[in-house]
Amino acid sequence: MNPALEKHLNLLDYALSSLWRRKLKNLGIITVFAGVIFLVASFQILTSSLTSTAETMLAKTPEIVIQKMSAGRQESIPLSYLNRLDGVFGIRAAVPRIWGYYFDETSGANYTVMGVERKAMPEGRRLEMAIEGSYPEAGQGGAALGREVAANMKLAGRRTFSLFRPDLSLKTFRITGIFAESTDLLTADLLVTGLDDARDLFTIPDSLATDLLVYVTNPNEISTIAKKIAARLPDTRVLTRPQILKTYKVVFGWRSGFASICLLAALAAFAILAWDKASGLSAEEKREIGILKVLGWQTTDILTLRFWESLAVAGLAFLIGCTTAYLHVLFLEGSLFRPVLLGWSVIHPSLKILPVFAAGDVLLIFTLSVLPYLAATVIPAWRCSTISPDAAIK
Amino acid sequence: MRPAHSFGLIICFLFVLDTALYFHVRFRQETGQRPTAHLNDIVTAGLGLTDLCLATEARYTRHPAVSDLTTPFMDHPGAIEHFPSGSFWAAPQD
Repeated sequence: MNPALEKHLNLLDYALSSLWRRKLKNLGIITVFAGVIFLVASFQILTSSLTSTAETMLAKTPEIVIQKMSAGRQESIPLSYLNRLDGVFGIRAAVPRIWGYYFDETSGANYTVMGVERKAMPEGRRLEMAIEGSYPEAGQGGAALGREVAANMKLAGRRTFSLFRPDLSLKTFRITGIFAESTDLLTADLLVTGLDDARDLFTIPDSLATDLLVYVTNPNEISTIAKKIAARLPDTRVLTRPQILKTYKVVFGWRSGFASICLLAALAAFAILAWDKASGLSAEEKREIGILKVLGWQTTDILTLRFWESLAVAGLAFLIGCTTAYLHVLFLEGSLFRPVLLGWSVIHPSLKILPVFAAGDVLLIFTLSVLPYLAATVIPAWRCSTISPDAAIK
Repeated sequence: MRPAHSFGLIICFLFVLDTALYFHVRFRQETGQRPTAHLNDIVTAGLGLTDLCLATEARYTRHPAVSDLTTPFMDHPGAIEHFPSGSFWAAPQD
């Protein structure tokens, strides 16, 4: 074997034996260190995965959404606004939609009720492929439910249910189908019905809709057309597909409150660990270095030994932390963060997402955790190994 | 067995586990999600959806893409944002 490699293997053997002699302390350090890395990596993997999932799932989101604003709040938009879009070239279709939230007082859950004219929507005719059953026809009082809504209503075989209108009269719906499980991340809280039935439930006049969806002929012109619409309808907010997709790129990040707490907790734990190491070696460790120097070890050998010790601890903690974080998101659906992510939500959509852990994320966590630990342990060892052996032994 | 060899085995085991997990996810991406992606596209386009259904407790966490930055504070003058899921989301930037 190469003598240099043999020397490093011997040093590694010695370093590992030395770590094993103080196994309780070192296993404790590895556990805490791995826990800190697990926390940071779990958050990073979960948010990257959610961002990636949103990018994939919302790729076909409407090209332009128009909402009417009044006193800083969204309100129903008059259908007469459709006429004011007539002169804008490049608009393929403009579709009114009615949607809103329904608070179920029995269970405390919030449902998203949505009424669309399916024939006017892109892919509207194929919606039945995503429903176990059939899509509710307009004006028939039918409803297709998200799986969580159906489970939450405790229907027990019933095919009808009633919801309250604002005047507390009852509106009865007949269940025509349940959305497929694989669409849960989009449809879990949805109650989809015909445009007229949604209008009836919310008691919205015939002349109004919740928002307008605009589809353009050439996707490259989305922003130009959005600007023209905003000029023609100054009291509206015009959202474009790129803006909607961008929201999910920035909304999960280290600047959110929970993420900051995670990061600060991890940094505090790491700072305590590094402080303990950087504040100097114990008397026993100094004595060990002194004896090694008396036996003929060079300063470089001692530094290499300390480097291997630190690398073994930090490397093992890094691998354990990252692996458990990946398993946490893949198999446990990020269960540690779910209570915060879902909050007081009564409807709990499944979070079956595939983890995304980019090389950049791995490198970032490695740089923030392993490298400072190596520096924090090697520097005191260098300070100690440069003093004379007899002073160290004393 | 030398300590270095035992340690090497542990590291190798973790690397093999990570590689297996990586390929497991790639395999699921390639096979399992293809029909799902198709259905998701149909639902998103067919209903004009703009958001993922993650937190349903507040309208601004259910539909962050179509909510204003100020929505969490609109309940009444001086209102503070109080839903737990709000702490998970950063404010969208323009």
